[in-house]
Amino acid sequence: MSNLELNLSQFSPVMQTPLQHFNLSAKQEKMTDAKGVWAHEMALLGYIHLRGNAQNKDFLTAVKKATGVDLPTAACSISVASAITMLNLSPDEWMLICPREQRAGLQKKLEAALTGIHSQVLDSSGGYTSVWLQGKQATDALQHCTVYNLHALTPNKVVGTTFGKASVIIYRLDNGFCLVLRRSFADYIWRYLARAAAPYGLGIAAL
Amino acid sequence: MFVINCPHCQEAREEEEFHYEGEAFIARPANPEAETDDAWGDYLFMKKNPKGWHWEMWNHATGCRKILVAKRNTANHAIAGSWTLSEARKVYDKEQYDAEQATK
Amino acid sequence: MNSNNRIKHQHSRVDLTKPLNFSFNGKSYIGYQGDTLASALLANGVKVMARSFKYGRPRGIVGAWAEEPNCLVQIDVGAKTTPDLKATQVELYEGLVAGRTSGWPSLAFDLKSIGGHFSRFMPAGFYYKTFKWPAQFWPLYEHIIRRAAGYGSSPIEADVETYDHKHHHTDVLVVGGGATGLLAALLAGRSGASVILLDDQSELGGYLLSSPNTTIGGKSAIEWRDNVITELQSLPNVQMLTRTTAFGLHDMNMIQAVELLQDHLPHNQRKPAQRRERLHRIRASKVVLATGAFERPLVFGHNDVPGVMTVSAIATYFNRYGVACGQHALILTSNDGAYQAVADLAAGGLQVTLADVRTEINPAWDARFKQLGIDVYLGFGISEVFGKTTVTGARLSKLNPTNAMQEMLAQGVKLRVINQIDVACDIVASSGGLSPTVHLFCHDGGRPTWSDESLAFVVSANSRANAGIYCVGAVTGVFGLQAGLEKAVETTNEMLNSLGKNSTASKLNLTTNEIARSPAQAIYRIPTNKKAFVDFQNDVAVTDIELAVRENFKSIEHIKRYTALGFGTDQGKLSNVNGFAISAEFLGKTIPQVGTTTYRPAYTPVSFGALAGAHVNDTFEPRRYTAMQPSHEKYEAEFETVGNWMRPWYFPKTSENMHSEDMHAAVNRECLAARNSVAMLDASTLGKIDIQGRDVREFLNRVYSNAWSQLAPGKCRYGLMLNEAGMVMDDGVTACITDTHFLMTTTTGGAANVLNWLEKWHQTEWPELEVYMTSVTDHWATAALVGPKSREVLAKLCNDIDLSPINLSPDAFKFMDWRDGTVAGVPARIFRISFSGELAYEINVDASYGNYVWEELMQAGASFDITPYGTETMHVLRAEKGFIIVGQETDGSVTPLDLDMAWAVSLKKPFSFIGKRSLARSDTVRTDRKQLVGLLTEDPTIVLKEGAQIINSSNILPPVPMFGHVTSSYYSAFLGRSIALALVTDGLKRRDDPANNTIYAWAEGKAVKATIVSPVFVDAEGARHNV
Repeated sequence: MSNLELNLSQFSPVMQTPLQHFNLSAKQEKMTDAKGVWAHEMALLGYIHLRGNAQNKDFLTAVKKATGVDLPTAACSISVASAITMLNLSPDEWMLICPREQRAGLQKKLEAALTGIHSQVLDSSGGYTSVWLQGKQATDALQHCTVYNLHALTPNKVVGTTFGKASVIIYRLDNGFCLVLRRSFADYIWRYLARAAAPYGLGIAAL
Repeated sequence: MFVINCPHCQEAREEEEFHYEGEAFIARPANPEAETDDAWGDYLFMKKNPKGWHWEMWNHATGCRKILVAKRNTANHAIAGSWTLSEARKVYDKEQYDAEQATK
Repeated sequence: MNSNNRIKHQHSRVDLTKPLNFSFNGKSYIGYQGDTLASALLANGVKVMARSFKYGRPRGIVGAWAEEPNCLVQIDVGAKTTPDLKATQVELYEGLVAGRTSGWPSLAFDLKSIGGHFSRFMPAGFYYKTFKWPAQFWPLYEHIIRRAAGYGSSPIEADVETYDHKHHHTDVLVVGGGATGLLAALLAGRSGASVILLDDQSELGGYLLSSPNTTIGGKSAIEWRDNVITELQSLPNVQMLTRTTAFGLHDMNMIQAVELLQDHLPHNQRKPAQRRERLHRIRASKVVLATGAFERPLVFGHNDVPGVMTVSAIATYFNRYGVACGQHALILTSNDGAYQAVADLAAGGLQVTLADVRTEINPAWDARFKQLGIDVYLGFGISEVFGKTTVTGARLSKLNPTNAMQEMLAQGVKLRVINQIDVACDIVASSGGLSPTVHLFCHDGGRPTWSDESLAFVVSANSRANAGIYCVGAVTGVFGLQAGLEKAVETTNEMLNSLGKNSTASKLNLTTNEIARSPAQAIYRIPTNKKAFVDFQNDVAVTDIELAVRENFKSIEHIKRYTALGFGTDQGKLSNVNGFAISAEFLGKTIPQVGTTTYRPAYTPVSFGALAGAHVNDTFEPRRYTAMQPSHEKYEAEFETVGNWMRPWYFPKTSENMHSEDMHAAVNRECLAARNSVAMLDASTLGKIDIQGRDVREFLNRVYSNAWSQLAPGKCRYGLMLNEAGMVMDDGVTACITDTHFLMTTTTGGAANVLNWLEKWHQTEWPELEVYMTSVTDHWATAALVGPKSREVLAKLCNDIDLSPINLSPDAFKFMDWRDGTVAGVPARIFRISFSGELAYEINVDASYGNYVWEELMQAGASFDITPYGTETMHVLRAEKGFIIVGQETDGSVTPLDLDMAWAVSLKKPFSFIGKRSLARSDTVRTDRKQLVGLLTEDPTIVLKEGAQIINSSNILPPVPMFGHVTSSYYSAFLGRSIALALVTDGLKRRDDPANNTIYAWAEGKAVKATIVSPVFVDAEGARHNV
């Protein structure tokens, strides 16, 4: 199936993000200090799930060969390189996030390099979206949503934790947080986040 | 509302992130067909349910989805430790062995 | 109104330049910024604010904060109304509307007060004894008793306020912002630790705010407090929360606290985006409890007349709020703690009479009292207060001066009144010592201990240090300020040391001007033949406790429940210790022998709104949506929740005259479209698990009851999953993608459980099997295209031969095959499987394209009148075919054999699959178990009730043996009659026995005759899907 491509000659396929109905792009504005929390959907990225044995040198070598980057093997670590962000989700599970148009190529390279090595490479692009969060009260807003100790979420760290009554993957970069949400929960998580951020002022950031 | 250290994520996390998975180290009989109905029934249904220290499994449900073992006191929720399945087995076996030696 | 009790002095925290209008019971008053409702009412001379719970006696304010038992008020009106707030804790704001909660029919005339005249008829246990019989009348009694009881009214409109939760993790949490709490927070803050300091009042400072003549380090206590707060504010690692009540301490130092964010503001200053209350959940490495103490009153005759208060309360009203509760105060004490207040009141111009139960007085205080012109009676108690709706005077009686009361009682000596003096006064205040606020310490199993020195139940400063709990100040029984500060430094240093932090305490000057304290006397009640109340809120008098003991209640927990001591919204903050002591007296035991009742969360009442937080309205529960939601909304689906998913239930059509179909009409139409033409179901919610690795087949053989060794790539198979007890737990179709790659589907509701279940077996029992499994439920959007015309519709969108040559012909793409291709230009994986019995294709695409592909399919099917359908039609179609729904036909007690699905159980597989052994247990091999059958009613128009009991006769005179129940029941438009599925005892045999195949299904008072038949009602031979 990974060798199938879109047929754009006869059809005009349209992608939709799970946050489509909030029409966020129309609400974008320049970030100012007037609002404490700024959010921005990073819509329609490519997501690849990778499973494998981090103790297996062949596995690590193959992944590096395919991506050019060392797989982050330390618990809760991430690596960011060129266009790929790799999240360590568990001792044998990673999520690779890349621009949508690079997903198929990256997946093919991974599958090729990992031939014969016990692993799993999966396109999960339809199943996730990402929401970027920054601002001087972004941490406060998230404290309303998750039980995780956000002060322990240092830059370049990723955790899976609770979000309201659902769950979410959160990673931190120097200037903000990125929430990786499952598609079906995206409506709930956005509503929950928007509600939590309301007392501080929530803006949709034009990045 | 307690805190469990996840040996996989190598971090103390809130109980809300975990899902209880029952008593640890109940081994599945190697040859179920050779078990009597009574013995099989014990395997299925008889749990220790102590007041006090209990070896139990937890699934880090919102985190790494891995199962871990915690030794928890059911009377006061104190947790003596938490380990990966294989590490826990070693600690548990030693505890059993020490207890046996002590009664001799 | 004339604020006749307002006095001006420099220490007052009330701003007399900012008057505020408010109303109480419909009357208008003026208070000032900084007032509580209680202080403002007292300033206005309002004395009677409530009627008592049982006797309807007039009651006034006793305390100054959360200990207040009497003055419960209803604040605000309509949707914003809040019942049963304590007037002492309500901050005044412009336009505040308050009302009484008690006094029925009115505050001035309470019907129950008639009861008061006959109060000997309403002792402890009165309700239990009087209203117990006849039992059927209790609801009537209860209604009237509750109305008379005097609690407020719940709002009947939806709450318009919002609430939220906030999670914190901190090194140090200090609960209580009084002198020692401020000190502990300062030391912790200076050490660099992260610190949260919280206090339930509007301002930090605690009793320092009520004791302005105290000095610390040579400065006034207020100035010391201001300096500490200024420094704390400058520390970025310190967070201070006021109006925040810690109400529960749970495992591993999880403290829950409620912050009131807007209740103190006038309505026009409240921000709509701001919350009314915030629930803070704070995980702290170390907790410092600086929760202080409440002063407990002494118990004496008619001690409930409005105007009888605690000494700390009148001192607080006087010093902090600038309110003199009267002109002539009679103060009774058993300890030196009340002396500063006595001096403050006299210096402030009140006429003060002091009675001390002790016979000696510290000469330093004696000199000061003489200088202030205070009459002092040593060795006296109050035997009786005069007045009905307000204090007019009191009788002082000399107590036996020879011994402490406890010792005498132990010797069986009756206390003897020697002398009496009547004193005219308009206010009486008493102090029986302090009761430490030990509640939080005890919530997770800590116990207080009785201290004979402090005459209180106290907690240790560091006995729970290994749990990270430290205590400072009055809660530890150290009641003097000087000693409290010194001990707090010691304890805080120990706490910081355990955190690996350094203390800077040596730089502090903590010398106070406190006069050394003489020992207090152990006394809890003054002998009297008048009614003397222990618990005001529940009208528990000394005689009630005496009666309870006489009726043989021995445990304090039982005495509490029999008398109602310590119940209610104040939870006995004033009354408990007196109650324990007086119980001890009647039981002939010591107080520690009697012990305390159990302290449980919540410390003070918490609103439902705060507990719910964000879990209301559209964030109440996660609602999961599929990618096709925009289309479902466009076609005006009605939705139902399945698990957390919002699934289209049915799609009512609206006719030209705007008449909308009901569910039955819509479902009949949708069913016929699927059977006769083409229809489409959103099946995206089914769980999907991608499983890869060398050992996938073996893994599937172990977790499914049927066999997977032979399934070829390109093929699908129905799989049945059992739990280890042999009971059906899930089912779904699983496809072989390659020899090492399978795609499993699960039920919608079971998806998460099944993945956990598989992971658990893999991780705990079979880690040697090389498989990885990952959920792809959210990645794939699935459209089930169903009906005889489905092939023609799909063909229109699979015509891009160059890219994906899917051959849809019956020979090339058979039933139970899957194929990759493109649909409407989008890469797709198509399963030719059917949950309806019709020719059907389940089309899976990347969910980003889900709505697009759905709409393309709708367009392609337009010429066949393609009909979207929901879960209700799905249920009817599958029931017509006798397909089970796990959780509907099964309930955790049903084996595959009970479902007549032996074909899905492979007993030949070498590994003993999960549940196999249990299928051979004596109970599961019985042939007369409840088994799945079909039912046809005698009257084809009657649709049985799901859940109806199966009985053998229409005679429903008990006892009626029951033989199972109806699991599914629908009207089948295709068959033109009703159908049902049922689990029936010995059903398989009865189905084939015409002499024994009649049953009655009983529900809602009716028994409906039906015949047991095969559960497959449509196309038993499978001709419809094999085309």
